[in-house]
Amino acid sequence: MTTYATRPVGGLETVNRAGSLAPTSKGTLIRKLLTTTDHKLIGQMYLVTSFAWFLFAGILALFIRAELTRPGLQFMSVEQYNQVFTMHGTIMLLMFATPLFVGFANVIMPLQIGAADVAFPRMNMLSYWLYFFGSIMATAGFLAPGGAASFGWTAYAPLSSSQYSPGIGSDLWIVGLAVGGLGTILGGVNFITTIFTMRAPGMTMFRMSIFTWNVLLTSILILLAFPPLAAALLALESDRLFGSNIFDPANGGALLWQHIFWFFGHPEVYILALPFFGIASEILPVFSRKPIFGYKGLIAATIAIAALSVAVWAHHMFATGQVLLGFFSFMTFLIGVPTGVKFFNWIGTMWRGSITLETPMLWTIGFLITFLLGGLTGIILASPPLDFAVSASYFVVAHFHYVLFGTVVFTMFAGFYFWWPKFTGRMLNERLGKIHFWTLFIGFHLTFLIQHWLGIKGFPRRYADYLATDGFTLMNMVSTVGAALLALSMIPFAINIWISRKAPLVGVDDPWGYGASLEWATSSPPPRHNFHSMPQIRSERPAFDLHYPHIQTEKMGH
Amino acid sequence: MALIAALTSSVFLAGCSSQELRGFGFEKGLSSVNDASLGLWQGAWIAAAVVGLITMVLIIWPIAFHRKKNEEFPKQTQYNIPVEVAYTVIPFIIVAVLFAYTARAQNEIKQVTPVSSQSEVVHDITVNGFQWSWQFTYQEAGPGTTVTGTPAKPPTLYMPVGEKVRFKIVASDVVHGFWIPAFMIQIQNIPGVENQIEFTAKKVGTYPGRCNILCGRQHSQMLFNVKVVSVAEYKSYIQSLKTIAEEEVQGANA
Repeated sequence: MTTYATRPVGGLETVNRAGSLAPTSKGTLIRKLLTTTDHKLIGQMYLVTSFAWFLFAGILALFIRAELTRPGLQFMSVEQYNQVFTMHGTIMLLMFATPLFVGFANVIMPLQIGAADVAFPRMNMLSYWLYFFGSIMATAGFLAPGGAASFGWTAYAPLSSSQYSPGIGSDLWIVGLAVGGLGTILGGVNFITTIFTMRAPGMTMFRMSIFTWNVLLTSILILLAFPPLAAALLALESDRLFGSNIFDPANGGALLWQHIFWFFGHPEVYILALPFFGIASEILPVFSRKPIFGYKGLIAATIAIAALSVAVWAHHMFATGQVLLGFFSFMTFLIGVPTGVKFFNWIGTMWRGSITLETPMLWTIGFLITFLLGGLTGIILASPPLDFAVSASYFVVAHFHYVLFGTVVFTMFAGFYFWWPKFTGRMLNERLGKIHFWTLFIGFHLTFLIQHWLGIKGFPRRYADYLATDGFTLMNMVSTVGAALLALSMIPFAINIWISRKAPLVGVDDPWGYGASLEWATSSPPPRHNFHSMPQIRSERPAFDLHYPHIQTEKMGH
Repeated sequence: MALIAALTSSVFLAGCSSQELRGFGFEKGLSSVNDASLGLWQGAWIAAAVVGLITMVLIIWPIAFHRKKNEEFPKQTQYNIPVEVAYTVIPFIIVAVLFAYTARAQNEIKQVTPVSSQSEVVHDITVNGFQWSWQFTYQEAGPGTTVTGTPAKPPTLYMPVGEKVRFKIVASDVVHGFWIPAFMIQIQNIPGVENQIEFTAKKVGTYPGRCNILCGRQHSQMLFNVKVVSVAEYKSYIQSLKTIAEEEVQGANA
């Protein structure tokens, strides 16, 4: 196909535009940030803000690790310790990982379906500002008398009641999360509408990229999971403020909270996982020079995961003695099957490929290995008898860090390195990227691998202290050393961002050379409304078809 | 990776007996729960190791051997139905087998002897969690014999070796978690809910117990000890509780 050889020479244009940019004053920049409805800029604001929260909650994590290095209280009171891990968990899940998804989806998804913007640009802007102020509100408790919320990110009733957690910090936490949660719900509505109504001509559902598919399914999960959370939070605040008795233990409120919270909490895990699985599914084909293996099966697996994810919540409640163990255990085992399928899709993509190990690919492989270990311990925990042995211990802490850090953080960096030229027009440095990867990879496994054993040996989560006779000291020290290394890995990344601001402009649509989805068929960065011309979309690899019209995908049945 | 593995395994080895290593961290024969769960624990880990190893090799194999060698494109394979069916069905079989063993073990753990049953000796103990310690009430000792701990002075729970204990698990303020790591068992103390669990301690000794559900400021001081003693010693402990209670009553009357 040569019909589209008239594609504008995006590179030159970009250079000219960037070169002729008038020097901007800070005032113009602030005005632009405050008033923008451009999905790319809002997306980048989401990415920057959520990354700032990642660093903040990472520092809180270092406080936790420092406190646990040795038995005895080192530098925090138990009350401060409870605040620190509560806010670490809350920020990482709801102010870092969830909005990070919204950020990537905002920047990339409209490009991938060939849309000019999202369906509701002004609502998109509203979502961002709800997130921005909601997350500040929830964290502002640190400045309040009595400090921030300290009942854990799970806020179990009745510990979170006004009787047991009277501080204003708790109220800020509850209302802040409700405000931010509304932003997330609106984001979900926006993405679903965009994907259903704004696809370019030729972009059928089964030609959408895996990332876009996963954004769609994640957004549907948001509509299922976040309204119950909002309801639970507002009901909790009503208990605290107006004296209602919704979560009063006398009326079964202690158990009711756990049910509603985990009915949100478990789909939330998949809200955090699916988009980042999507990033991995975008990167592997590009650096294997092959199409994604088992495209339709992979989508079916994602749909299965999304469907099952609303039927497994009570596996967080095995130890309550009040749930149907068999049902929730079986559903949880079952969700392992489509997750396993995904692994084989990713392996199948690499198999007999033509693999190169640029930084984005390296991060994606880091994700595969880390998440594999997290998935396996997940299968162990799905079995109630084994859950009774190690639940609510550091084994679980290790498990969910392998799952969540392995997925979110590894593929976040993969996505940053991969799409940086699309965001900024400039590449990040490869050598620094690799140093960054290896420091973080070793630091991560050093921190969390040992925590499995710590849990098996009986160290409960959320303990500020332990006894010298418990035998936890050496393992905690190893973990703390790992955490320090993990923190240091942010230095090469910071240097990389700093020096890459002067890197040469890539000047081409696809600097990696083998991009498949539509964002690689427009300039880097794309123009205000994304495309000057739209290539013909005949498969799920429109950019690849455009650049390599002579290469054919093997059809089904061969 | 090798370095981390070596480091962590050496730390593992430093802290455990060969018994524990064979049980992947747990010991056989400590309690009736261990007897029900340990085989599953070991089996699940072996299955996880095999699956993990195969997957790991499959991930690393193409990275090592299917590198880019020239500018030619590899075959653009996208579907292979038999392979796709295989990697959906095989994991399903694996989890179905795991579930079968899970169901068996959990039915065993969930068994509670009905109170009306007279055929066996079953001791009744109520475990109450409160901010921030434990109260143990032994039914045989009668009223007024509750043992109450403090954060600074963790209480001791006595269990007779080889005889069933039926626990009533309650809480008086917030949610707590009654966890005895060595016995592979935990259950939440939930205010407003009365949980039941029954198991048998099978080896004389002292084992740490810990609260594992965040319950406020002194959560990490909500410890207790489980002291498994011979039946005779258990009886004399119950007797001593009665005596103390009687003395207290007399003291109050005098």
